[in-house]
Amino acid sequence: MSSSALKTMAESEEEVDVLVQRVVKDINNALKKNPNIDEIGLIPCPEARYNRSPIVLVENKLGVESWCIKFLLPYVHNKLLLYRQRKLWLGKDALIDITCTLLLLNPDFTTAWNVRKELIQSGALSPEKDLYLGKLALTKFPKSPETWIHRRWVLQSLIQECCPSKACKERSGAVAVTAAQTERLQRILQEEMKACSEAAGRYPSNYNAWSHRIWVIQNLAKDNKKVFLDELSSMKYWVSMHVSDHSGFHYRQFLLKSLVEDPGCVLDKTASALQSTSNEHCASLPKEEASAEIQRTVVPDLFNEELELCTDLIESYPGHETLWCHRRYVFFLWHHWNHKQGSPLNSRDRQLDNSSSATTGGKSAQAMDVDGMMDPNKQVYTQETKRLKRGPLQGCQGLPTEHRFITKTLTDCRSTEQARFANAYQKWLDSVLGQ
Amino acid sequence: MKLYSLSVLHKGASKANLLKAAYDLSSFSFFQRSSVQEFMTFTSSLIVERSSHGSRASVKEQEYLCHVYVRNDSLSAVVIADNEYPSRVCFTLLDKVLDEFSKQVDRIDWPSGSPTTINYTALDGYLAKYQNPREADAMSKVQAELDETKIILVSSVNYMI
Repeated sequence: MSSSALKTMAESEEEVDVLVQRVVKDINNALKKNPNIDEIGLIPCPEARYNRSPIVLVENKLGVESWCIKFLLPYVHNKLLLYRQRKLWLGKDALIDITCTLLLLNPDFTTAWNVRKELIQSGALSPEKDLYLGKLALTKFPKSPETWIHRRWVLQSLIQECCPSKACKERSGAVAVTAAQTERLQRILQEEMKACSEAAGRYPSNYNAWSHRIWVIQNLAKDNKKVFLDELSSMKYWVSMHVSDHSGFHYRQFLLKSLVEDPGCVLDKTASALQSTSNEHCASLPKEEASAEIQRTVVPDLFNEELELCTDLIESYPGHETLWCHRRYVFFLWHHWNHKQGSPLNSRDRQLDNSSSATTGGKSAQAMDVDGMMDPNKQVYTQETKRLKRGPLQGCQGLPTEHRFITKTLTDCRSTEQARFANAYQKWLDSVLGQ
Repeated sequence: MKLYSLSVLHKGASKANLLKAAYDLSSFSFFQRSSVQEFMTFTSSLIVERSSHGSRASVKEQEYLCHVYVRNDSLSAVVIADNEYPSRVCFTLLDKVLDEFSKQVDRIDWPSGSPTTINYTALDGYLAKYQNPREADAMSKVQAELDETKIILVSSVNYMI
C-alpha cells in the first residue's frame, strides 16, 4: 500500500476502525492459537504491504509491523479511556482483547492493568493468564515498572487465595486443599524466578527485576530457608557471567543477610545438604541450642563460600568495581556477625584461628579434625571438639586475610583500575573498621 | 559477558574482504537479529579497513567492544563483545583463529574468497566455546602472554581514519 493510499485510508475514520479492529483480533487470535508464544517484538516496517496483516508469527515470536502502531495505539487507548469514563460499554472479552493489545504496546499504561485487576476479581480472567501477558510484555520492556507492580498485586491475591487463614489449615478437611495450593505456589515461585532471570538478562542491572525477585522470595518463600540456599547456589553461575551487574550481587547480599540473621530451624524436613551434617546432633538438642548450633556451623560456611566466590571473580576479571563493592558488603556483614557472636568460646576461636593461620596455615587444626572424624565412637561434644570440628575458616578469616588479599592483588594486577579498587578497599578497611 | 560475532577478513588495498563469520545473536530480540547482524558485518569490515597492518585495537561502538587484529600478511579477525568480556581472552582467541585459518586456507584464496567459497568451519565452535571465558582459556596463561600497552583503545569507529 503506498503512503498516499494509507493517508486516504487514515482520513476515513471508519476505515481506521475496521483496520484496527482487525489487528486487535489478529493479535488475540495469534495468542489463543499458539500458547507457546514467548516473545513479542516490533518489526521496523514503514509501509504496509497490500492487504497483509501487520501481525507476524515466527517461531513462537509475535511481531507487530511498525507502520500500524500510529493507528493502533491511539485507537485502543481511547477506547479504554471511554470505557473507564463510562461513555462506552465493553464486554469482558472485548476488554481482555483490548487491554492485551494495549499492554503489549505500552505496558506502563496503569489503567489497562487496573481494568485487568477488576477482570481477575470478577473471575473473568485467570491470574495465570494475566501473569503470562506480563511475562510477554517484559520480553520487550524488561524494566517496565507498572508491569512488575501489577505482577505483585496478582501474586498477592494468589497468596491470599492459597493461604486464607491459619484456622483453615488446622481444620482437618482443609489439609488436602492446602497441599495442592502449596504445589501451585511452588510452581508460581519457579515461574517468577524464571521471569526475573530473563528480564535481568535483557537489561543490565535491571533493578526492577531484581527487586521483584527479592519481594517474591520474601512473600512466597518466607520461612523456607532452603529456597534461600538454593537461590544462592543457583545464581552463582549467573553472577559469574554478569560481573558488573550490581543488582545481581545485591540479590546475593539480600539472600546472605537473610540466612545469616535467621538460618531457619534445621529440624525442618526441607533441610538442605549444607545443614545435614548438623542434623544428627541437632535433633537431640533443644530448639534454641539447635538454632545456635546452626549459627556456628552453617553461617561461617556461607561467608566462606561467598568470599571465595568473590575472590575468584576478582582475580579472573580484573577491574570490575561491582565485585569490590560486593566484597565490602560481605566482609562487613561477616565482621558485624562475628562481633555479635562474641562469647568466650568464640573470642578464643578467633585468637586461635588467627595465630594458627599465621604460623601453620591452620594445618594442625585440620589434622585433628580428620582424627576426630575417623573415630565414630568419639561422640563427646566438649568445647574443644566443637571448635576443632569447625576447622580453619578458609575464606573468611578476618582482617589479616583481607590485607593479604589486597597485597597479592596489587602485586599481580596489570590493570590500573584493579589497583585503584584494591587501594580504595584498603582505605575503606582502615577507616570504616578502624584497624 | 557475551561474544556476539567472530569474523575473519582479508585487508585489501582499499577494502576489507569477509572470508568467514559466525554470530551468536540469541540475546537479541528475535526481530532485531537480522539488522544487528548487518551492523556487525559492516562494522567488522570498516574497522579492518581503518586499522593498520600489524596492529591490535579495541574499538568501542555503541554498547559493544570490537576487538581487531590485523596481521602483517593482511589476514584479520574481529570479535564483537560486550563490555564485561575480558579483552585479553578476545585477543588470545583472535590469535588462535588466524593461526589456524592461515594453516587451513591457502593464502591465494584470501583476497577474493567469500564465506561460501572458503572452507573453514571452526568459527561457530570457537564462538560457542568462548562464551564462557574461563572454560575456554586458562586465565593465568592469558595474563602472561600479551603486552597490553601495544593494544590501541579507540572510543568510536568514527575516530578511526
